[in-house]
Amino acid sequence: MNVLSQLKEQIAATLPNLDLVIGWERGFDPLHHTPLFMRRPEDVERLVIDALCVHNLAVYLPGLKNKKVGVAVKGCDSRAVNQLAREGLIKRENVVVFGFPCDGAADLTKVRRQLGDISGVQSAALEGDLLRVVVDGKERETPLKDVLADKCLRCRYPNALTHDHFAGEPREARVQTDDYKDVVDFEALPLEARFAHWQQEMQRCIRCYACRNACPMCVCRDHCVAQSRDPHWVTQEDETREKWMFQIIHAMHLAGRCVECGECQRACPVDIPILALKRKLNKEIRELFDFEAGVDPQAVPPLLSFQVEEKNINERGW
Amino acid sequence: MAEAKYLHHDKLSAWLEEVAGKMRVLAPVRQGDAVVFAPYASGVQVEMDKQATTPPKGVVFPASEELLRYDYQKNPEQPGQVDVELLPVIQPEPTLVFGCRSCDARGFVIFDRVYAGQTYKDPYYLARREATLFAVIACLRHDITCFCHSVGGGPGDAQGADLLLTPIEDGYVVEAVSERGAPLLDSPLLEPARDKVEQAQTLRDKAPRNMGNPTDFAPARDKLMAVFDDMDFWEDVSAKCISCGACTYLCPTCYCFNITDEGAGLSGRRVRSWDNCMSSQFTFEASGHNPRPTKAHRLKNRVGHKFSYYPALHDGLISCCGCGRCIKSCPVSVDIREIVVRAMGHALPAKDKD
Amino acid sequence: MTPASTKKNATAPAAKKNPAKKTGSKPAKSTAKAQKTAEPRAAKKTSKASAKDSAKKTAAQAIPKSSAKTPVAAARPINPHLAANPYLPEIGTIIETIQETHNIKTFRIKLGSDERMQNFAFSPGQVGQLSVFGAGEATFVINSPPTRKDYLQFSVMRVGEVTARLHTLSAGDRVGVRAPLGNGFPIESMQGKDIVFIGGGIGMAPLRTLLLYMLDNRDDYGKIRVLYGARSPQDMAFSYELPEWLERTDMETVLTIDREAEGWEHQVGLIPNVLLEMTPTPDNAVAVTCGPPIMIKFTLQALKKLGFQDDQIITTLEKRMKCGVGLCGRCNIGTKYVCVDGPVFTYAQLRELPNEL
Repeated sequence: MNVLSQLKEQIAATLPNLDLVIGWERGFDPLHHTPLFMRRPEDVERLVIDALCVHNLAVYLPGLKNKKVGVAVKGCDSRAVNQLAREGLIKRENVVVFGFPCDGAADLTKVRRQLGDISGVQSAALEGDLLRVVVDGKERETPLKDVLADKCLRCRYPNALTHDHFAGEPREARVQTDDYKDVVDFEALPLEARFAHWQQEMQRCIRCYACRNACPMCVCRDHCVAQSRDPHWVTQEDETREKWMFQIIHAMHLAGRCVECGECQRACPVDIPILALKRKLNKEIRELFDFEAGVDPQAVPPLLSFQVEEKNINERGW
Repeated sequence: MAEAKYLHHDKLSAWLEEVAGKMRVLAPVRQGDAVVFAPYASGVQVEMDKQATTPPKGVVFPASEELLRYDYQKNPEQPGQVDVELLPVIQPEPTLVFGCRSCDARGFVIFDRVYAGQTYKDPYYLARREATLFAVIACLRHDITCFCHSVGGGPGDAQGADLLLTPIEDGYVVEAVSERGAPLLDSPLLEPARDKVEQAQTLRDKAPRNMGNPTDFAPARDKLMAVFDDMDFWEDVSAKCISCGACTYLCPTCYCFNITDEGAGLSGRRVRSWDNCMSSQFTFEASGHNPRPTKAHRLKNRVGHKFSYYPALHDGLISCCGCGRCIKSCPVSVDIREIVVRAMGHALPAKDKD
Repeated sequence: MTPASTKKNATAPAAKKNPAKKTGSKPAKSTAKAQKTAEPRAAKKTSKASAKDSAKKTAAQAIPKSSAKTPVAAARPINPHLAANPYLPEIGTIIETIQETHNIKTFRIKLGSDERMQNFAFSPGQVGQLSVFGAGEATFVINSPPTRKDYLQFSVMRVGEVTARLHTLSAGDRVGVRAPLGNGFPIESMQGKDIVFIGGGIGMAPLRTLLLYMLDNRDDYGKIRVLYGARSPQDMAFSYELPEWLERTDMETVLTIDREAEGWEHQVGLIPNVLLEMTPTPDNAVAVTCGPPIMIKFTLQALKKLGFQDDQIITTLEKRMKCGVGLCGRCNIGTKYVCVDGPVFTYAQLRELPNEL
């Protein structure tokens, strides 16, 4: 039995005990999947599992706190479930996690880079290691690995780290370590170049806050500093400075919490590569506290704990 | 109306530079992986082949703008007295938006009905509107998310345009479709279009047929009111929405705004900025009451405004230009067409009360 | 005197019998050097292209029923300043403040010159946006009547950023004023009718403007009865003028508080119950009510029980507002914008609106 059929069976069997199960289904075109909220047995038929299941569905869990919810997760998504539970933002016992081995998720921005404008896509097929599409009557193809999200190329957790059901056999991780080479390389640039990069990128931000709302760990929701008047940290002016300020606050609030699902960047309608900011903080958190959010469900997040003497922070004797 | 002209690809940059000598020219250019409208400068590659990621909405209705500046000053004769001075700022810059699509220009036709209202007009908007010309490129191919032909527009539609460009052979047939557009054709870089005008017309006529049958959204006006109280329906269609503002901020017809005072101390700015009806703060009252407390209520208002309330107030006109950006750029692929179609076909549950 | 008056002396220290006449506050000399600016040059017409195009365009859809414009609205004065630029406030000077209750403060505001005040036209029930620059704007009903032109009165309950900043202001301070906005009460169609006012808490403010207007045009209206309730005597605003209302023979005033309080000699009980005891008759009558939602809910039930029809009941709505002129798009209930189609609605009209109060 393939992974999808097995997953459907598991969901169908569990659904009667739950309010709903969240998965993915085909969206408005063959390259866009969309979250599927399964409430009735027939909804399960629409479930799909493939490289186009890009969304981290854990984002919906805090808003469904008082419901019995099932959720399908990729490995990276499962870290959000762990972290949310660890922070008390969801009750783990109210969530039924359906895991499966993830072979990586496509980055549609990369697909566009490889295949050109795909807004007229008529069909798409994942055949082995190839993504084949028909756009405006013309066939185009690309190796899947060229269009996988960066996070997938450095994925160490392809299988859900927490799950109540698992469909298929766990697969092996693509890599064993994350060297944060992207962060190191960027930091090697002169300060001016780095600042110019962000000014250039943030300029086109439309302040839609898709980055924030797609983030499973962004839970301030209606009380975000982005709109707050008290404190009044950012203005509503369309200035790069204000947009940048928000991104810095966003990244700082995620220090030790970000699970690197990359949803912030994927959700951005103008493709600003903002995951880099969170990567930077994650690198620091790993070096300082030897911690990765959501990996160990029992580990105490460093910013939720306190030690008189931190191992890697030299607080005295500079 | 001025005679139609032909603009060869090779002359495009020269012509844009010529226009840029007279006014600001904004054109779709690549920034990172996005295509946005930015000032044209010589050597800049103009992205002519696809719909821009963001519409040119901000040209006439900026993401933020100063409505006025305020300045508190102590009265030198009466130190206890503090006066306040207000300085409204309206400084439109003559601008040509080059290379937007029919849907993009038509967005402002929807705006006009509101901002040039009968009692109160928006002088900031109108000043920019008057200062801005639109050179629209007719779409001879469409995206899967396009549905302009279902909401009163079309891929070669000239509503809201001043120039209409139709891609043909190695260039464009350029037609002035407003009096204001005509002077732009007065350039030695343009040649007479002759029989290409008819060819262009034929291409434009064919374009909507390629889009398939339009959906008739007119019944939505009454039907959306009929399903207003069916919260199960609205919770269902809004379940996957993450309440961000991508749909509203990318929408050429979304005109709602916020007003905030920004500044510190004795002087500052009263700023009007795009607002987002999908945010709970949009209607959150100081008392703590919120008439639209959930995303289901908010999505209902967004869909209702476009397909029911606005049409009811404005001669049946739908407040949507069918550009499809809200679908294509939604992080979770919410499809407004699907919601309206579902509402139109929705069987109301039997009423248990009232 | 009446017990009510003793009470309010405790809670309304600033109350004066006829405060407008005395100029205790600093003269508003050279009030505002405001608005030294060119009029927006493009305010008058829309672009030629768009005008032409919309004429050319054929509406994609047929228009079934006509969109009913607010029928209750009487003559609705438009401020020419706002017609030119609806976002630009006039500068007003606070000439007096009254601390009504622990969280309600009243501001008497003069716009520019005496002449400007004489020219300032509005209809009872219309609202204004008050600005504290730096904090922002908020909407309040003008609760003085148009028949009294010395100042505009606004009563502000402290709930958010703008109202908190307003509460710090005192006589002599400047505020921005955008007024009048909204529709106002249907004063013409109320002529010759008996009027029942039912106000709860700060909800008395919009009723006050109408009541005083009617008292100033007393012959145009029938019997006037006022039921005003608050949680406690200390929560009763306008306490300084209640003795006059109680004394007047051309109107009936009933005051009520939720629970017994020492020294209180008026009614005790919730507004809807007291209303039922008053047994106002619906014949040729209009009920005007405003107050917290829960009070409105039960007051409506009481009025129905008394035989009032939906179109005989008038109320005012509150919404979060920004522009106040029907453009910013947040205060709508379906097709109706509370800032321009309201805030005054009959209950019959409200029943026509979608359920989104």
